[in-house]
Amino acid sequence: MSNPNPNPAGLPITEGELRSLTSDLADAHSDTFTEMRETARDAFGPLLYDVSDGAARLVATPTSRRGFLIGAGAVLGGLVVATQTPKLAGASTRGARPRAVPRQQKLTGDLAVVALAAALENLAVGTYQAGIDAATAGRLGTVAPAVVEFVTTAQKQHKDHAAAWNAVLKSAGKSEVTGVDMTVKAQVDQQFAEVKDVPGLAKLALGLENVAAATYLAAIDVVKSPAGIQTAATIEPVELQHAAILSFLLGQYPVPDSFTPQDGARPVSDTIG
Amino acid sequence: MSIDERELAALLEASQDLHADAMRDNREQLRELVDVEAGRGAPDPDQAAEFARLHTRSIGTGFRTGGLLAAAGLGAALVTVTASPAFAKSSPDVQMLQTAASIENLAVATYETALTLPFIGGTDANSVVKAFVTKTKDQHTEHAAAFNAAIKKLKGATQTATDPVLLGVVNQAKPGLTGPKAVVDLALELEDGAAQTYVANVGAMKNKSARSVTASIMGVEAQHAAILRAVQALLAAGAANLIALPPDAAALPAAAGSVGFPAGFYPTTDARPAQEGAVK
Repeated sequence: MSNPNPNPAGLPITEGELRSLTSDLADAHSDTFTEMRETARDAFGPLLYDVSDGAARLVATPTSRRGFLIGAGAVLGGLVVATQTPKLAGASTRGARPRAVPRQQKLTGDLAVVALAAALENLAVGTYQAGIDAATAGRLGTVAPAVVEFVTTAQKQHKDHAAAWNAVLKSAGKSEVTGVDMTVKAQVDQQFAEVKDVPGLAKLALGLENVAAATYLAAIDVVKSPAGIQTAATIEPVELQHAAILSFLLGQYPVPDSFTPQDGARPVSDTIG
Repeated sequence: MSIDERELAALLEASQDLHADAMRDNREQLRELVDVEAGRGAPDPDQAAEFARLHTRSIGTGFRTGGLLAAAGLGAALVTVTASPAFAKSSPDVQMLQTAASIENLAVATYETALTLPFIGGTDANSVVKAFVTKTKDQHTEHAAAFNAAIKKLKGATQTATDPVLLGVVNQAKPGLTGPKAVVDLALELEDGAAQTYVANVGAMKNKSARSVTASIMGVEAQHAAILRAVQALLAAGAANLIALPPDAAALPAAAGSVGFPAGFYPTTDARPAQEGAVK
């Protein structure tokens, strides 16, 4: 997924100049990430209590009216889920499940939500990696430079999110979650098997971003720890920004909802592995 | 502009349908939330006093990014305005909701003004930009109504005025709104400021309904900001022709793919002081 043309549109500004518009912001992101990870780790340190009421509510979250990841036959933006393709199914999380079975930790309360969040972030990282791999192998056709930039940046941010949540788990004396949300992955794999081009990948990614955002929004309602609420609040808008740009690239209206729905939020009963 | 008007109309119609569904759902959720939480909004004098003290202390650190707000040199003025004990009348959550409503009211007024400009709302304006401004204005109207509904249920005074400090910023910017880029710059400041404020408020609010309503809106403002950043970058690059739905993805500069989300964690350094738009 390299960018062979630094100025594909013949713009009166170079790619380098345009990049400089965001370089300061990238630095700011780096600083913010460091601070956020430290804040989250410090704040969650003593978080070892059980808030099962909150977890139970997250379990009861309704499925998505957007139709993503609600079971066999789901339709996502015109992408009809069909059959499995084991080869690609394996590829979709290649970069995100090297070891561990964190579910055996039997986390409860806020920490269960933290583990779910880490697993969803890992899944996003793995899915984007599978997209990169597919594009590199030439299976998605021509990939525009802006798409390459989107995928690599979004993937990095999801890695940062996962690291932030894992820092919380580690500070609480728990194992990091290196696996993915297997419940969601099963359906992602099905959908990924049908991806033949960049729009197909973008639709899949859009669904994942919306599910992540909905999960964080639901978590804000059930998590007890103020630090946990704040951390989720700083991540949810970023997932929605990813979704907005994906919608734009797909030619869909980028801000379809006046109020972010919680439909499609994942429950803590999802399998992590 | 490279846009098919019929396609855009169809997209907007589909979006309106989705939006109507979402509004229906959200109204019901909001009603349930505020019903549950009604009566819990009465101010605790000690809590309000502590809130006022903390916010007065933090105001001076809220202008670090050098945007329009910082350029207006408003930091010192804010200390004077918000240090007044009068702001401790309502509970902290109600004050934050009132400030949020005041920001929304200002956003609505600003987008309404923008639509009177020929290069935004005129017949020769970019159709995508015009449609975005129109729909975004409507969404802010709904946000203001949602914040005020939450305030009312918490027995607070609804806020129909605009944020007094940001109003000054908008008024200062008005004479310079001579082209699309200046409008986008101003809108981005408002959207990003709103998003940062709500992210900060979600972490600070005690009342669950206040928090839920705010949380359901913060990401929408962040999305507005993301699109405005992309549009801003394309305008700066002299590539207004690429502002289209769908865009010519192959022609987009690479940076357009990531300029919309510059931070992995949404910052709060430019969050508006929680009492700034509170009803006195």
